[in-house]
Amino acid sequence: MAAIELTGLTKRYGEVLAVDGLDLTVAEGEIFGFLGPNGAGKSTTIDILLDFVRPTAGTATVLGHDAQRESMAVRRRTGVLPDAYHVYDRLTGRQHMQFVLDSKGIDGDVDAVLERVSIREAADRKAGGYSKGMRQRLVLAMALLGDPDLLILDEPSTGLDPNGARQMREVIQTENERGTTVFFSSHIMEQVEAICDRVAIINRGRFVAVDTIDGLRGANGSTTTLTLPAPSLGEDTLAMLRNRDDVVSATWDARELRVSLASQVQRFDVLKALDDAGVDVSDFSVEESSLEDLFLEYTTRDQEVRDSPGTDRDGDHAGRTEPDGPDVDREVEQ
Amino acid sequence: MSVAAIAKKDFRDSVQSRALWGLLVVFVALALLITYSYVEFPEMVGGTAEASIGGLVFFMAGVVSLFVSLTAIVICYKAIAGERELGSIKLMLALPHRRRDVLFGKLLGRSAVLSLALAVALVVGFGFGFAMLGTVSLVPVVLFVPATLLFTVVYVSIVVSISASTGSTARATTYAIGFFLLFELLWDVVPLGVVYVVNGFSLPEQTPDWLFLMGQLPPSTAYVSALTALLPDLTTTVGQDSFAGSGIDAFYATPEIGFFVLTLWLVVPLAVGWYRFANADL
Repeated sequence: MAAIELTGLTKRYGEVLAVDGLDLTVAEGEIFGFLGPNGAGKSTTIDILLDFVRPTAGTATVLGHDAQRESMAVRRRTGVLPDAYHVYDRLTGRQHMQFVLDSKGIDGDVDAVLERVSIREAADRKAGGYSKGMRQRLVLAMALLGDPDLLILDEPSTGLDPNGARQMREVIQTENERGTTVFFSSHIMEQVEAICDRVAIINRGRFVAVDTIDGLRGANGSTTTLTLPAPSLGEDTLAMLRNRDDVVSATWDARELRVSLASQVQRFDVLKALDDAGVDVSDFSVEESSLEDLFLEYTTRDQEVRDSPGTDRDGDHAGRTEPDGPDVDREVEQ
Repeated sequence: MSVAAIAKKDFRDSVQSRALWGLLVVFVALALLITYSYVEFPEMVGGTAEASIGGLVFFMAGVVSLFVSLTAIVICYKAIAGERELGSIKLMLALPHRRRDVLFGKLLGRSAVLSLALAVALVVGFGFGFAMLGTVSLVPVVLFVPATLLFTVVYVSIVVSISASTGSTARATTYAIGFFLLFELLWDVVPLGVVYVVNGFSLPEQTPDWLFLMGQLPPSTAYVSALTALLPDLTTTVGQDSFAGSGIDAFYATPEIGFFVLTLWLVVPLAVGWYRFANADL
């Protein structure tokens, strides 16, 4: 059964199509990256999955339940780290966690989960005094309570320092190993690339690519290049390399051997083959065309097409749920 | 379970509101001052020669209705609109709650908070009043409490429903203050204005009976009527009429109409607020 299934999903805000006919299937057990620039429609899509927002057309199914009609069943089995959320300033971290336990009608080891996200020592302080990173950790902890079958994380690395972002990735991977499907959005390719099985790139409400990371590289002709010094090389070694499926091309200029690969993960196989062929592989280097470049290419290329006269759309307003920064001016006192 | 979880969270949160306890201090002071002046100068303040328990209860009701209406607005106008504006509603609705659970949970939580504050004020106010009068009378107080509780829940329901009907606290504030102005401050003239218009822009010699009915519409008026229905004996000891329908011969001209009106105010705003909130994109 699919963890998430979108069929012709469309959301219109007045004149603006925030989400435009999305079709997607996310399998159970996947770590799925949902990538796109700010305002592309990521948060609108996630808001529909959680029934914060109702689609104009199409359907969304989560864990086999209709996201609108059976939203309660969806949310019972899902842990969520929303985008542009706000914690309850006057409640402590522990009270936030207790609210989740009460709401889901479950028992859970609050301290253990807070420990996993490294804010256990702040559990009894009011969340209003937390830093942005601590709030993000708290809300992640709330999402993890009760071992959900699906984690929906909207821009999970927001506000986290590099160490926090790494910890976030580790948590995602650990949860995934337990069988949890993870669906998370980001506008930074690097975060997605590191852990995702598959990626969907969305721009202006439409998917411009849905593929594995390797597939994305392949589809775009991007490659990994292995370079190693080789003062001498047998003609048969070069032929052996060129015959391999995972090698795109191999060249030797009497000084250096350059091997282009379809993907980075294959480099070990190739290195092993070279080693077996008697080539010294102790001093190789790897060059990769960056996926970030690829992402930019996908999202800006599409923009140029859509920005042609007659198809004027204001993408900045399409994702009204994605503010550019924290709203520090808002008064919280009630 | 869902409603209880939200009510508990909401109580813990809003009971820490400084505005709530600030208002409480002001009103306790006001209650003490009024009690003192009523007992000391009954003929000036109450219009009767002697201060009585009944007079005290109805004086207290006046203070309570002002306190409850203002405090309900202050602690409830952001109940849902504020969570939508800030985004904390996403934390709440990411959990398995229906929107109506949110509405009822908020109603319950904030009613509890306001009742707690009110209980403090009443204990102080009545304690002081009885001490000044030199007598203790429990029956009126015991009947006073449920009517006041109902009134509190009604006001919270009105303001929470207003808050549920919009995603903007600015709009929620406007609606809540507008409600207060219209029904609590200007309502004395509104029914007369209606009569004036209906009668072809002139005032009739005999006011129609339904004028009374319109006059009963403000929640605080309905509250005093309900109190009158509960404490008929006491009203006779109060110099002025606590019920405007005494001279009218119609089936609805009984103090019990207060309960009917309060029930309307409990149900109708909730239904509208729920409808608007349940169909909103957050």
